[in-house]
Parts: sequence; C-alpha cells; structure tokens
Amino acid sequence: MIAHSIFFYTFSIIAVISAIMVTVSKNTVHSVFFLILDFISISCLFIMIGAEFLGMIMLIVYVGAVAVLFLFVVMMLNVAQQKNQWFASEASSGHIPVGLIISTIIFFELIIVIGGWKYKPDLFDLNNSVNNFSVSNTHSLGQVLYTDYIHVFQLSGMILLVAMIGAIVLTFRKRLGVKTQSYLKQISRERSEGVEVLEVENNKGVKFDD
Amino acid sequence: MTEIGLGHYLTLGAVIFSIGIIGIFLNRKNIIVILMSIELILLAVNINLVAFSIFLGDIAGQVFTLFILTVAAAEAAIGLAIIVVYYRNSGTIRVEEIDKLKG
Amino acid sequence: MEISILFLPLVASIIAGFFGKYIGDKNSEFITSGLVSISAFLSIFVLYQVIVNQYEENIVIAAWINSGSLDVNWSMLIDPLSAVMLVVVTSISSLVHIYSIGYMSHDPHKPRFMAYLSLFTFAMLMLVTSDNFIQLFFGWEGVGLCSYFLIGFWFKKESANAAAIKAFVVNRVGDFGFALGIFLIFYLFGTVNYSEVFQQIPTVVDKDLLFLGIEIKAIDLICLLLFIGAMGKSAQILLHTWLPDAMEGPTPVSALIHAATMVTAGVFLVVRCSPIYEYSPLILNLITIVGMTTAFFAATVALVQTDIKKIIAYSTCSQLGYMFFAAGVGAYNVAMFHLFTHAFFKALLFLGSGSVIHAFKDEQNINNMGGVWKKLPYTYILMIIGTLALTGFPFLSGFYSKDAIIEFAYLKGNTTGYYAAGIGIFTAFLTSIYSWRLIFKTFHGNYNNKEIDIEKTHESPLVMLLPLIILAIGAIFAGFLFKDLFISHSGDNHFWAESIKFLEPLSAEHPPTWFLFLTPCLVLLSIPIAYYLFVKNKNIPNQIANINKPLYNFLVNKWYFDELYEVIFIKPSKKLGLFLWKFCDGKIIDKFGPDGISSFVKRCSIKANKFQSGFIYQYAFVMLLGFSALLTFLIVK
Repeated sequence: MIAHSIFFYTFSIIAVISAIMVTVSKNTVHSVFFLILDFISISCLFIMIGAEFLGMIMLIVYVGAVAVLFLFVVMMLNVAQQKNQWFASEASSGHIPVGLIISTIIFFELIIVIGGWKYKPDLFDLNNSVNNFSVSNTHSLGQVLYTDYIHVFQLSGMILLVAMIGAIVLTFRKRLGVKTQSYLKQISRERSEGVEVLEVENNKGVKFDD
Repeated sequence: MTEIGLGHYLTLGAVIFSIGIIGIFLNRKNIIVILMSIELILLAVNINLVAFSIFLGDIAGQVFTLFILTVAAAEAAIGLAIIVVYYRNSGTIRVEEIDKLKG
Repeated sequence: MEISILFLPLVASIIAGFFGKYIGDKNSEFITSGLVSISAFLSIFVLYQVIVNQYEENIVIAAWINSGSLDVNWSMLIDPLSAVMLVVVTSISSLVHIYSIGYMSHDPHKPRFMAYLSLFTFAMLMLVTSDNFIQLFFGWEGVGLCSYFLIGFWFKKESANAAAIKAFVVNRVGDFGFALGIFLIFYLFGTVNYSEVFQQIPTVVDKDLLFLGIEIKAIDLICLLLFIGAMGKSAQILLHTWLPDAMEGPTPVSALIHAATMVTAGVFLVVRCSPIYEYSPLILNLITIVGMTTAFFAATVALVQTDIKKIIAYSTCSQLGYMFFAAGVGAYNVAMFHLFTHAFFKALLFLGSGSVIHAFKDEQNINNMGGVWKKLPYTYILMIIGTLALTGFPFLSGFYSKDAIIEFAYLKGNTTGYYAAGIGIFTAFLTSIYSWRLIFKTFHGNYNNKEIDIEKTHESPLVMLLPLIILAIGAIFAGFLFKDLFISHSGDNHFWAESIKFLEPLSAEHPPTWFLFLTPCLVLLSIPIAYYLFVKNKNIPNQIANINKPLYNFLVNKWYFDELYEVIFIKPSKKLGLFLWKFCDGKIIDKFGPDGISSFVKRCSIKANKFQSGFIYQYAFVMLLGFSALLTFLIVK
C-alpha cells in the first residue's frame, strides 16, 4: 500500500514540523497558525485511518473553536507585538540541555513500550465488540456512546457547562459608575433604616452627616 | 517501512508528545505557548488512542478520544480566561515576569 | 528532754531565719541566744547524768531509710563521747551567740547571722549524736554548708566569697574520701549503724581488697578513707589551705566553727571510729605522722604571720595536729581531753582578738597595734589567760592535756612515738613563742596605729566580755577538774565505757621525770625570750628575717602550698573546664545539637527556597522530571 504510506508519511512529517514550529517561532500568531496546521494534518490522518467522525469533529472543535479562541486571546493581549528573544538572558537557560535530554529519554521510553508490545502480542486484550466495517464510523460510535457510555457523556456535558460558567465568572467585569438595582436590598429594607424622626428646633434646621 | 502498522502511529504520537513537553519549559515567550503545547500533548494522546482503537477493533478508544476532545476544549477555554484576567491585573504575560509565586 | 537539745537550735534558726524581718533584730538575737543557752544547760545536765549515773541511751527519733538491707534512723545516741561533745558544742555556741549580740551590733543583717549560727549548732549536734554513718555524714555536710554561709556572710566582699568557696571545695575533697569510706563500710558489713559495724570489725581483720590495682587490707582502706574526710574537715596538712582564708568571716564565726566545733568534727570521727582504727596500726601511724607534721608546719607559719586572726587560725591547725597525733598513738581519751580544753581557750583567744579588733575599729594587722594594755585591761588579762592555757603553762588546762599527749607519745615506745614526742616538744616551744609574740605586739610596745588616736580605743561592752570571762574560767579550771575523769592514770577508763575502744589498755606508767619537766621549762623560758625579741629589741627579728630571706619567704607564703595547688590542680582544672566548655560543649554538642540542627535547617530551607522561584515553567520542568522518573521506574520494573 504505497499510497497509504506516502500519505501517512506526508501527513506525519507536516504534523511534526508544525509541532516544532509551534514552540520555536518568534511570532505568537505564527505559533497559533502552526497549531492549526498541526490539527488539520492530524485530522486528515484520522480520516485516512478510518475514524472519519473523529477527524471531522477535531476539525470542527479543535480548529474551529479552540484555535480560534487562542487567536482571539493572542490578538486581545497584544502578544504579537512583543518580539522576544528565544532564549532570554537569564541564568535559567542552563537547564535547556537537561530538558532536551529528559525529553529524549521520555521519547525513547515510549518507543520501548511499543517495541515491547511488538514482541508480546497478547499484552493487550479486547474489550468491546470487534470492529464492524459494515456500519460507518459515526454509526458505530453512536451505538456505543448512548448506551454504554451514557453517564460519561452526560458528565462531559456537565464539564462543558462548568467550564463555560467558570470562564464567564473569571473574566466578568463590572462596569463602574453604573447604578444598578439590587432588588434584594430594596425588599429587605427595614423601617429602622429608612426613616428617622428628628426634633427640629425653630429656625435652627437639621444637620445630616451624609 | 512501507507497511504502515500500529507502531508507526504510536511513534508519531510519541514524537508529538515529546515536542509538546519540550515546548512547555523551553519557551521563553509567553504563557500562551505553554497552553498550545498542552494541546499538542493532548493531540498526541488522541493519535495513540485512535490508532489503538482502529488496529484492535475496539470502539472504546474513539469514544475516549471524543471525551478528551471535550475536556481539552473546556480546559483551553478556562486557561485562556485565566490568562486574560491575569493580564488585566499584572499587565504582562511574559514568562520571566510571572513570578508571583516566588517565595 | 534530750531531743529538745537537738531541736531547740533548729527552731531558733528557723524563727530567726524566716521571721527575723518581722520580729526585729533584738528579738531574733534574744530568741536564738536564749534557746541555744537552754540547750547548753540541758546538755550539762545530760553530762552530769552520764558521769554520775552512767546514763547511756539511744533515742530513735524517726526512721529514715529502710531500703533492702540498709536501715538508717534519725536517732540520738547519748554516751560519754557524745555527751562531752554536746556540752562543748552547745556551751561554746551559746557563748558565741551572746558575744555576737555585741560584736555584730553595727551589722545590718543580724537575724541572718544568728539564724546561721543556730543552724550550724543544729547540724553539729546532729553530727555528734548520730548512731550511724549516714546521719553523721548529714551533719558533716550540714556544718560544711553553714561554714560556707558564715564565712561568706559579708557576701558583698569578693575575698569572702572566694574564701567560702575555697572552704567548701577543699572540704568536698575530704568528703569524697569520707563518702567512699562509708560506701566501703556498707559494702563490707551490709549496715551503717555504729553498733553493728563495730561488732563485725574483728571478723574482717584479715580481709584484703583490690583498690585501684593495689592490694590493701580492708580495715586499712576504711580507716584511710575516713581519715581523708577528717583531714578535710579538720584542716590537716594537704587539705588545710581553707582554714586561714576562712578568717574572712566575722570573728564569732571563727571562734565557733574554726576553733571549737567544726574542725573538731574530724577528731570526733576518728575517736568515734576507734573500734575500727584500733585494728589498723598502719593507718594509726599515718595519722600520727600527719598530725605532727601539721602541728609543726602550722606553728612555723604562725611565727611570721601579721594578721591576728590568722595567727590564731594556724594555732588551731597546730593544736588539731596535736589531737590527731594523740589519736594516732592510741590515746583517744587524751585527744578528747585536749579537744575539750582547747575549745575553751581557743574560743577565748578568738573572741578576745575580736574584742581587740573591735577596739581598733576593724584593724587586724598586729603591726598596726601596740601599747594598749592599759586602755583595754579586761581584754588584756583575758587574752593572757588564754595564751597561758594554750601554751601549756603549768596547772592551767592546756598543761594537762598537751603534756598528756606528749607523754603518751613517748610511752608508745616505737620510733614514731619518740619522733612524735620530740616534734611535739619543739612545736610546743614554737607555740609559746608565737602566742607571746601576738600578745606583746598587740598590747605592748609603741602605739603603731596611724589611723585611730590611742584615746579613742575603748574596752568592749559587757555583753562581749561576759562570755570571755566564762570561757576564761573554763580555760583555767577545766583541765584540773576533768583530768581524772578523762584520763585516769590508773589505767581503767571506766568513764568512757564502750564509746572508745582500746585494744590494749594504755600504759599506766609515767615517763621519766626529766621528760616531764622538759616542756614546762621550755614554755616558761619562752616568755622572756619573746619579750626580749618583740618588745625590747625589735631589730633582732628583722635581722633574722633578712639573713634567712628564703626561709622567711617560705614561711610567710605558708610553705607555698597555695601556689603548689594552684599549679597542680587549679590551673589544669580551669584549663580542662575551659576546654570542655568551649570545645566539647560549644563545638561538638552544640553543633550536633541545637545550634547545629537549627543552622542545618536554615541552610536546607534556603536551598529549598530556590524551588519556589515563581516561574511556572520551572514547576512544569520539575513535574516532567518526576514523570520521567516514574516512567523509568515502571518500565524497568
């Protein structure tokens, strides 16, 4: 399957390069663009491999919502204008080699796991039913999602709700100088707070300390 | 090499994962890059899950990927909201200048 | 009734000590003097009972320690030995109390002084009436403590403080030996009560012990250790350095403690333990040698001292040497007799010198006195009586006791005895020289005091003279009256009964007549010699001193004992203490203990502080490190 491998290698190389560029590019807006490119290439990979629902969902959600959100924030915070040096002048650039070494170690460990799996094929066992290629990916997902995983599904809905409320609460700003009604305060006013009876003398008047 | 098996996908996932990890602490620009690196990590995990799901025939992997997608979106939203509020309060999101936890 | 003898001084001390502020100075003085005098009368009554009716009793006051095989009681043992000591202690103490009313009249702290005196009396009485070694040790330590209080009575004076500490520490060295002796007694006999120990002594006569690698007879070791305690308390040579410095205390203190009572505790100990000492001829010889060396040493030093109280202090040291050497030749009863008479005339001399000091407004140097015998007639006569008694002038009390000692030494017959007798005679000669030197330089010759006009010196008040007169009567007559009782030349000492043990009865012979006359002749001769040297021709002593400058310096510096101890013991201990403090305590214990731990914690926390830099990427990095470690661990597993 030459075409399969050509497509695979193309998409994966694009994904890796754009991942590297996300971290390395000087302009933050460029970083966001490369992130979008990354998402798109991976989504193509998903479509190619047979999980087309997921690929489409990734495009819609990740690219269409999350990456756009990133762009909004980047634009709002004027980050793009700050052209920083890649390695600032502090002493903490000392741990970059250490960091690189550590990440290579992690990478190799992940590979080792894969290699280990290759020599022991029965390391993983099946859970659900065998893939039924007669139905589409969407259909099969739907079959499982609303029956076996309904609770998790509802929970994820809750998570989204909480996230939305949280984001609003975090960034909510009250406008200063605007008089609003607080009906709670209005209803709960007592006579003792509202009315005060004073003895006023003739020609003297009353002084309020307001 | 031409026969693309599960191992290739897993390797791809591992590479993107490592790049994401590097991006967290090797960046000197601003906090948003950290969030983007986190997205990369989650993406790598998604690749792994989907690859396993397809090659082992188990749909649970894709279901889980869906949920990861959901959570990643929620988390990105909250993270960005926090960054916005922080920027409002301290005026900068450069990494070197965020050291309020210093103690 | 007997118990009240013991406890009246304690009650007096508590009242004056704790409530002296509230009841006033006069009342504290009267109460303490009164109660102690009642004690004195009661003890005289008890002695009378003992003499006439052979009264003997062991009154158990309370049980003290009852632990395993150790059974110790608070008790009061009345036998001839303790009855004699009771009389000595309480009568001298009551006379000193009365005298102090006058002597300390200018002092602002009278109740405290009286309380200390009474407390001392109580401790001394505890010592002499005990029937076991532990109560004896309690009294021993008690008198040491009160001595510290009283020597350092004027505590604002630095030299007084130093002297008090010196007395206590030197005593401690002796007490260490004494305590070891008591432990050994308990180890060997399983009991510390006198009666039981003395009964068992003959059974362990041949027992040998290994002590610090040396094979030594058990009895010898016990006697040696107990004698070390006695040496400390009675200021024998090597442990004598505290006695002259103890003169920093007020004169009544010197009279009570360092003449009549505390320093005699050592002699009392040896006599009380005579059943043990009789079986150890080696240690008895040692005691004789130590005693006579002390007597000789103290007499030579007293010849050149210039402080009136120091002369009398060295004289006490010398007389104690006599008492020990009497005990050493086996004549315990003679030692007690000399103790008895010595208490009277030494207290008389001290109190008399107190009277002189009072007249000269606290001047103590005899070179700054002189020519006042007409102005202080009573003091003069009383001091002369005391000196005559001290030197052994015929028919006064000292004559009987001192000459008895020299006779018995001669009669012992062995080399130590002859040698001791010879030194004893020579020391008696020196004693009379320095005693008369004191009298002549103080009362005769020219008036040398530059600060006070001779007209201003006045006689002491009656309250100070009355005790002196009573003591003088004792000094004159005590010897003659009690000589047959204490030392009966007929050979059977039925007075002492069981309280002193003689393995072989003392010799009933008399030494040759020329020997008997030797000492009194020397003593009589010394009076005109002293007169000539110190009144008529004052240059001769100075010339002798200039010719023999090294010898003179040797004597003036007290045979350089203080300097010797300074080099051998004091400097090294100070260095050791400094080393232990600075190095061991400071660098080692503190470093691994509080200081070290706190600085270590500080350094660790400074290092840990660097973790919290505030930079999120560093936190993420650390997380990464942890994660990779976990991963490695899981994979390798």
